[in-house]
Amino acid sequence: MRHVFSVRIGPIGFRVGSDWRAPIDALGELYRYYPSPNLPDFTVRLEATHWWRRWLRPSIRIAGDYTLPEAAPLPLAQGLLAAEMAMNLQLALGGRRFLLLHASCVERDGRALLMTGESGAGKSTLATMLAARGWRFMSDEFALIEPETGLVHPFPRLISLKNAAIAAAIAARPDAKLGPLLAGTPKGDIRHMVPDALAVGAMDEPALPALLLYPRYGFATEVRGVLPSESFVRLTQASTNYVALGETGFGALTRLVRETPAHAVDYPDGAAAIEQVEALWRTL
Amino acid sequence: MRYRAPAPEALLTAGLDTLTAVFHRPSGITHLLASPAPEILALLAEEALDADDLLARLAARFDLADANREALVARLDELVAAGLVEPA
Amino acid sequence: MSDDMPVDGHNPAHAGPVEPADGAVASRRRILMLGAVTAGAVVSIRPALAQTAGSVMNCEIPVPDMGRAGSFIDPAGKVVPAGTKGAFAPAARPFKGEEVKRALAGTQLPGTTYESNRAYMSYIRRLQRGQGGFTCFASLQMPRG
Repeated sequence: MRHVFSVRIGPIGFRVGSDWRAPIDALGELYRYYPSPNLPDFTVRLEATHWWRRWLRPSIRIAGDYTLPEAAPLPLAQGLLAAEMAMNLQLALGGRRFLLLHASCVERDGRALLMTGESGAGKSTLATMLAARGWRFMSDEFALIEPETGLVHPFPRLISLKNAAIAAAIAARPDAKLGPLLAGTPKGDIRHMVPDALAVGAMDEPALPALLLYPRYGFATEVRGVLPSESFVRLTQASTNYVALGETGFGALTRLVRETPAHAVDYPDGAAAIEQVEALWRTL
Repeated sequence: MRYRAPAPEALLTAGLDTLTAVFHRPSGITHLLASPAPEILALLAEEALDADDLLARLAARFDLADANREALVARLDELVAAGLVEPA
Repeated sequence: MSDDMPVDGHNPAHAGPVEPADGAVASRRRILMLGAVTAGAVVSIRPALAQTAGSVMNCEIPVPDMGRAGSFIDPAGKVVPAGTKGAFAPAARPFKGEEVKRALAGTQLPGTTYESNRAYMSYIRRLQRGQGGFTCFASLQMPRG
């Protein structure tokens, strides 16, 4: 690997090797204020599919300890996306220190709000909007639950915004640093946003889970309580490593659902969602 | 035919409102059990029993609203399919 | 694995009261329903697709890792300069998790001789966190998944 980039995001260190310089430069620019890992947890490679592909219609095959053989290569112009997907994959499939949930996470007063749901449910956008209102941003995509303590650890990677969420996030945080607009990717238009200085500076501070929300965008406002048994089932599906963690996963997840109140929230727009979140937070 | 449940050490259980979450250590599989499955499992862990004896024990220990052998066998079949109960 | 899981089968983290499975000791017996024949009382958690994709099948271990591509492996599993006498050339392709798992059980890695297999396996066993292939190798050691 000619070009190398290393970064620590919360408790996780990555080392990215690349056959091209451009993605490494892009990562270095956006992750400029992040620490370096002492020892990376995961290695990622951005490889040319054949040697001539380094120059001719260059396309990237993402590689690392874990691969998805069906994954199609990405054009070099989408190098940032390739790196993001590769890093996600290694953490999601190889992560063993933490129970990993597909959830966004923000913190206030040492307590954490976790939002989980399908793609498009709005968890990333809501987290970004709450961060703009003074909550500490912990993650847009992965909540790291530490089994020994039940605490959630930050994973403030670059926020991956898709399609309509790009404008919404920029409106919420007009001063945020942004990566290039990647148009026409397999996931649509994508733009990366760097988390704010508070999020980056506090990346070593965990928080106690205090509220679990299952948001659903595009419906009339409605809130209903969710029982621990339902949360348990939802979260096993929202976890990338529950099964691999075995007993540890069982203990961590049962503890989380028993100790954290949960609600399903339908909302028509961001403002309504924020209002509901603040109202629920006040009931804790 | 008698049925047997795993020894207590083979399971981790967590009561969650209406359901009981059970981690079966030998297989690493997690199951969610609704009543009467946890109660059946507990009895079969004490002693291997056939369906008739199990029905009698349940009736003795609980106020059994629908003491129906066919229903009990259906529950046992589910537990066997899940790998939580085996023929002894 | 966590040490704080007790061996008696009872849940370690009682956040609230748990209905005893053997029925209350109170004077009146608890009501129990066996349910309809067609009802279901057992649901097994099936992992989400992402988790099955993460199985051993899909992970790879290159020998040596890409950071040291081209270097040779000596019989003890150490990475040495290319061409070192007595050392073995890098593996032609990364090994799949399944292949390494079988090799741990005693078979030989595909495409290797007795000696090169021993060298490669020594290399793999010495993998440290942060080196390519480490998380794949670590996952092979776990009793499940």
